[in-house]
Amino acid sequence: MNGPLNGSAIVVKDLSKHYGSGARLVRALDHVTLTIPSGTVFGLLGPNGAGKTTLIKVLTGISEITDGDATVAGFDVRRQSMDVRARIGWVAAEVILDDDFSARENLWFQAKLQSLKGWESRAEDLLKFFSLADRADEKVNQFSTGMRKKLEIALALLHQPLVIFMDEPTIGLDVSTRRMLWDIVTGVHKEFGVTVLLTTHYIEEADALCDRIAIIDQGRILAEGTPSELKSRVRADIVQLETVEPLDAARLSRIPGVQEVRAQGNDWTVRVATADDFLPRLFASVRTDQIRRISVEKPSLETVFLEVTGRRLGQDEPIRDVRRFYAQMQRARR
Amino acid sequence: MRPQWSPLWGLYWREIVRTFRNPFVLLITVVQPFMWLAFFGSSFSEAPASTLEGIFGASNYIQFLLPGVLSTSMLTVGMFGSMSTIQDKRFGFMKRILITPTSKGTVFLTKALGSASRGLVQFPVMVAAALVFGVPFHLSPLQWAAWVGALMLLAIGFCSLFLAITARATDWQTPGVVSNFITMPLMFSSAALFGAKYFPPWMVAISDVNPITFSALLGRSFVLGTTTHWVYLGYLAIFAGLMLAIGFVVSSRWLRVE
Repeated sequence: MNGPLNGSAIVVKDLSKHYGSGARLVRALDHVTLTIPSGTVFGLLGPNGAGKTTLIKVLTGISEITDGDATVAGFDVRRQSMDVRARIGWVAAEVILDDDFSARENLWFQAKLQSLKGWESRAEDLLKFFSLADRADEKVNQFSTGMRKKLEIALALLHQPLVIFMDEPTIGLDVSTRRMLWDIVTGVHKEFGVTVLLTTHYIEEADALCDRIAIIDQGRILAEGTPSELKSRVRADIVQLETVEPLDAARLSRIPGVQEVRAQGNDWTVRVATADDFLPRLFASVRTDQIRRISVEKPSLETVFLEVTGRRLGQDEPIRDVRRFYAQMQRARR
Repeated sequence: MRPQWSPLWGLYWREIVRTFRNPFVLLITVVQPFMWLAFFGSSFSEAPASTLEGIFGASNYIQFLLPGVLSTSMLTVGMFGSMSTIQDKRFGFMKRILITPTSKGTVFLTKALGSASRGLVQFPVMVAAALVFGVPFHLSPLQWAAWVGALMLLAIGFCSLFLAITARATDWQTPGVVSNFITMPLMFSSAALFGAKYFPPWMVAISDVNPITFSALLGRSFVLGTTTHWVYLGYLAIFAGLMLAIGFVVSSRWLRVE
């Protein structure tokens, strides 16, 4: 399983994917450029409909590229689709297994699809690794969701792929199963040395699992880097304090490093370059017995997402669109 | 393009095993032709033997009907093949298959061969049922083999036809709709149910190129012990080969994944 890899598991250049045409044209992917280094866990973070799944479909050869280039494991997705497909594994958002068959039979079937020889011992190792060995001959419709998910990952690993695609790996799972899956993704990455491309709309998931993250929205990559690189893009800490009596806003604003001051009664939100410098200066200018409560929010992926997309993840309908809709209504009434 | 033996075997095995693990699929495959034989076949059971001999060349109508019903039921087999393909698309299994180095053409071949094989499960059941209704069988091993072979070719042809027509379909109901347009005309314009002896010329014209006619007449010649036109087997092979080629090309290009 050697592809001509030069340090990059996936290279995407100026890639576009359009559905429909004319007035109904949907730009699911809009000039996406992305490089995913070998051996990383790479996260695509974005809301539903951002283009995450479309990117996976295009890279796995399920959907055709409208424009641009992509290579996976060193092979051109368009011209060398079979070579790509021999070197990738895929874990679906919804678990897709053959329910009429046992875990072992599902593995046998996957081996046939991949035209593998001498795969049996690896299959047994995978069953052990995922603690499925003692139930391997049961039909998989008897399995719990967690077990089904584990079997699906085992299927994806059977042919020793270079890259694994995981589409929303923890969607619809309960909290404990999600934790288990996080451990599995990290474990799989360490144990099998495989590059993982996963999509998610959970910020904490991207933060916990990924070496690198790309923020994707409306078919475009808006930011890309390691979680700490992304966080350092937001060059501000948020300090929130509650005071006993009203403060003079101007006095707070004069403290060096303060970027923005917002007040709601005695609750203050202060945007500062760094809280480490700001707090001593604050205590020098305000009597400490005046402060009832104080907290510091360091830059998080949440604040990064807000910064690059202009909205919070999960807040699918941006406020500006509602305003536009309202304005249109008023115009129509006139 | 090299044949993909490993996925071919894997997918074919899956088609066959799935049938036997799902008793309903098996039941529905067998029940319908059995009903034809039992009810439709009994329509003339009180008719004088001489009348039946005059029209059908057999004293028992079921003896005449069995090869015809086995042939027409291969149409239903095609519909089931198409439905199982749509099920794989809807459950995402087609994606699981195609995100491996398995080609769409290979998927098509296994669906066509798999559903055709599944359809042949009817053969022993129907022959046994006919025995119960008093039909005698005096076939040589070669005749048995040729009869099964003819039905297999017919089934492969119809499965390929259905799969080609529904290559882009993802709706459960499409195979049923397609079936209505194909099944009735092909069934009634063949020699399967009554023979073409009293057909109007325009129906004879259709019947003479209808693959169901070839299969029905071949089987009938074995069961009734009349002269066998072996060339019918050749026609059926051409029909199967042609449909297989069309289905392969259509599926390779247009098979929808989801």
